[in-house]
Amino acid sequence: MTAFLPVALLLTALVPAGIIFFLPDNRERLRAFINLTGAVLKLVLVGYMLLSVMGGAVYEARFPLVPGLDLWLRADALALLFIALSAFLWLLTTIYAIAYFAGGENLSRFFGFFSLCVAATVGIALAGTAITFFVFYELLTLATWPLVVHKGNAASLAAGRSYLAYTLSGSAVFLTGIVFLTAGTGPIVFVDPPDMAAVEPWLARTAFVLMVGGLAVKAAMVPLHGWLPIAMAAPAPVSALLHAVAVVKAGAFGIVRVIYDVYGTEVVQDLDLGLPLAVLASITIIYGSLQALRQNDIKRRLAYSTVSQVSYIILGASLAGPFATIGGLVHLVHQGLMKITLFFCAGLLDEKLKITRIDQLDGVGRRMPLSMLAFSIAALGMIGVPPTAGFVSKWYLGIGGLQAGEIWVVFVLVASSILNAAYFLPLLYRAWFVPLPDSPDGERRVAGAIERPWSFVAPPLVTALTALLVGLFAASPLSPLAWATLIAERTYLP
Amino acid sequence: MNGALDQLFLAATLLVPLAMAGLPIVRPWRDRALRLLPLAPLPALAAVFLVADGTTLVLPDLLLGARLAIGEQAPPFLLMATLLWSFAGLYASHALADDPRRGGFSASWCLTLTGNLGVFLAGDVVSFYVLFAMVSFGAYPLVVHDRTEEAVSAGRVYIALAVLGEVAIFAGLLLASVGVGSLLIEDVRDYLPLSPNQPHALAFLLVGLGLKAGLVPLHIWLPLAHPVAPTPASAVLSGAIVKAGIFGLMQFLPLGFTLDVWASLLTTLGVVTAYYGVLVGLTQRRPKTILAYSTLSQMGLVMALLGTALRAPPEALPPDVVLAAAGFFALHHGFAKGALFFSVGVAEKAGRRVLPWIMAVAALLALAVAGLPFTGGALAKLALKEAMPDGPPLTFVVFSAIGTTLLLGRFVLQLAQTGKDSDDARPAAASVVAWLAVSALALVVPWLVFEAITGAPAATALEPEKLWDGMWPILAAAGIALLAAAEPGSDLAAPAGRSGRMMLAALRRLPRPRLPEPTVLDAAVVRSGALAERLETGLVRWSIAGTVLLALALLTILTLLL
Repeated sequence: MTAFLPVALLLTALVPAGIIFFLPDNRERLRAFINLTGAVLKLVLVGYMLLSVMGGAVYEARFPLVPGLDLWLRADALALLFIALSAFLWLLTTIYAIAYFAGGENLSRFFGFFSLCVAATVGIALAGTAITFFVFYELLTLATWPLVVHKGNAASLAAGRSYLAYTLSGSAVFLTGIVFLTAGTGPIVFVDPPDMAAVEPWLARTAFVLMVGGLAVKAAMVPLHGWLPIAMAAPAPVSALLHAVAVVKAGAFGIVRVIYDVYGTEVVQDLDLGLPLAVLASITIIYGSLQALRQNDIKRRLAYSTVSQVSYIILGASLAGPFATIGGLVHLVHQGLMKITLFFCAGLLDEKLKITRIDQLDGVGRRMPLSMLAFSIAALGMIGVPPTAGFVSKWYLGIGGLQAGEIWVVFVLVASSILNAAYFLPLLYRAWFVPLPDSPDGERRVAGAIERPWSFVAPPLVTALTALLVGLFAASPLSPLAWATLIAERTYLP
Repeated sequence: MNGALDQLFLAATLLVPLAMAGLPIVRPWRDRALRLLPLAPLPALAAVFLVADGTTLVLPDLLLGARLAIGEQAPPFLLMATLLWSFAGLYASHALADDPRRGGFSASWCLTLTGNLGVFLAGDVVSFYVLFAMVSFGAYPLVVHDRTEEAVSAGRVYIALAVLGEVAIFAGLLLASVGVGSLLIEDVRDYLPLSPNQPHALAFLLVGLGLKAGLVPLHIWLPLAHPVAPTPASAVLSGAIVKAGIFGLMQFLPLGFTLDVWASLLTTLGVVTAYYGVLVGLTQRRPKTILAYSTLSQMGLVMALLGTALRAPPEALPPDVVLAAAGFFALHHGFAKGALFFSVGVAEKAGRRVLPWIMAVAALLALAVAGLPFTGGALAKLALKEAMPDGPPLTFVVFSAIGTTLLLGRFVLQLAQTGKDSDDARPAAASVVAWLAVSALALVVPWLVFEAITGAPAATALEPEKLWDGMWPILAAAGIALLAAAEPGSDLAAPAGRSGRMMLAALRRLPRPRLPEPTVLDAAVVRSGALAERLETGLVRWSIAGTVLLALALLTILTLLL
């Protein structure tokens, strides 16, 4: 049983991928059925595993890959945090994507890679060794490329090229780092971190820089973030998944693994690696927001916002102390919920009203009230307006920073909140307070059937509501905060 | 006593208005939502009287563990806020009955109300912050409701400073709560004098909370935003909502500890605010703007009072005396300022026949704010003075009454210009009821609750000495006004003679505070954008090459090593 569940979790995405690739494009219903069955099954499995892991269970499966290298799957609390997020958002994104692409072309190819992408994410979460992690990390790179270039136009292809150039070089650096450290310590197994005392400090530092530097490409840390805004050429569901769970988060998750399960927080601080990383993360937070401020394209503004927000996770991980850890980990979930909502809505605006720029948003709140309601909740969450999820992340990060003796973290959070307000509030103002351009009073034009079908509008509403509820009931034992606290307890009180 | 019924009552004080905020979403209930506005604060009003002392509602799952209670300082604030919001709701329900945006108005009205009441009930810092944010963001639609250019521009200043205030409070609460081990407001406040983060925490809290209360120089939004809102919204903004900032300061300032620098800073800024409000207010012509400056000035007095209490006795009076006085002063000011704002709305709809009556009531209220004997304001001033130690701050407070009289006297005169150009025009009955009711509350309620709040008998205010204390500033102001009027070509705006007039003229020439116009802002963005664009392009080009080069170089080193 313990070996079966992690494998089953992978299979819930791999098997649909395998089948869907061979379905003819016109079998829409069957494809949707397979997709949704996989997604629901996965959610059920994750729910079951969450309960058992909370009680202390650990699921493990090992397969020999080549002699001396095992493919090792292991579901610990941290893995499940990431998997639970991806399972939940995958289901919603699938529903959304089916509505988004209704009647489109090459959909079997698309949904096949889509499932593969999710399988890779699960693999990354479950990976028990650095090499296993790397295998899935690469699978993710390759499975995502066809999604990015799905539209097949020049912009998409250029985006795909830059995506591959960035991520493959990043992977190469990451791999070098793994090899480097492995040469000093033997195979890197997350559950049993290598004994860093035996490693020369310079080697440990170099390996850390290489590994984190390589992972930072996908996590879009400045100055390695250039691919992300370009990848906006991808269809909305892809952007949503890319920004919320798949690629960007895989990078951030990798950095979290390296800090907690390869080096350990104490070693990271002893080697003086924590503070520089925290500073780099803070620079990214501020720089991403500054760039977001000057975008007029909605998706590009959201993309730079991702650059900024994902580094909260890295900031939390690089500061020593339980509160910072909790803040970083919980933001992994919170950012995912809020950002996917924003991209869902951006996709809706584009599809339904051909709105892609901020200056076209005037009065749109009256035409698409539900979508803009979801968008507003998520945007306020990004700013950190309580009681949304973003507030909880910021609170814990701020306390964590102060506990680590780094008072400047508070200033970074304050600056980031102000910048977030500066680039999100004007959107909300246009949507809700400026009348529609073609009706001077702006009152009587109310949308009839724009926000249809329900499968198109419900996903952002569900994610926005969740983002609100996880903040409002942050102290509840069922919240992501409670789970992040559990992980932090297991990290700091072994 | 912690009965389940009491707790339920406490929850209802916030849940009822919160639920009502959702009503206008359902289109058929939009009008009903507006008509029900007067009822929204009633559960809270009832709770002030009915909920047993010490009732605490603990909701461990909510936020980071929420706690609501009617604390020691809350009753005067709750009493004032609930009654004022209720009558303002009555006013609004008629004044906005045909307004095309009444749905959104009702919703943000109820949200702001929930936050406003909640701030007085919050027992832990996170709940306080959440509810405070609800006030700040919820009130934005009220400010820009009319969508005039002026309202939108005031709204821009409002929201920019509201965001600034929110993040300042956030940072202040973070700094104050780290290391406490509890999120209860009282624990955080008690730890503050010992906290290593004390200077930063206090600075941020003072900025965030002072901003809401109009502390100079953070006040610039207030005289812009309060007057542009529809009259009932102006009334609650200036009457009840500024008190959220005052209440926050009362909750978080560690009164009774010697924090000399902070004591001097807050007292000085408070006094500056009090006089600045009068001086600049005198240069204004619009009645509502004059009232907003008067709010500034009055809140300055409360902040000066709180500042004097940031010292240990005997240099200062005991914290509970000071807090009671501040609460009592806020109670009276809330009613009086609310009623004065209503009088503007009523006067705007009035013809020549009724206008003098309206001005008479307004004048009485104005004198009450200045501390006229036998009015509620006399008690408010008495409480304020009794809670301050002898010294320059007290003197400043005493003399401020002259300024208040002049400022509000000018308000009453300006009111004469607002009426309708007809003989018989009459304001709507509902607005008259709201206005007269709140005026009566302002004059009477302070007498009823003085002893309960401050512990001293209200009859103290009737001693001849106190009567004279209340009377002479008003007489002095009248004298100044007469002198100024006697000089040809001058008006009340020149109370201190020629030099004063010159100073005021200079003040009047000051540019009105407002954020850059959008076009200016855009130009700035474009300019900074060019730089950022170059940086970004460079980074993008550099980073690909950089990554690859780094990887290759290190691979080479690695192979050499192995």
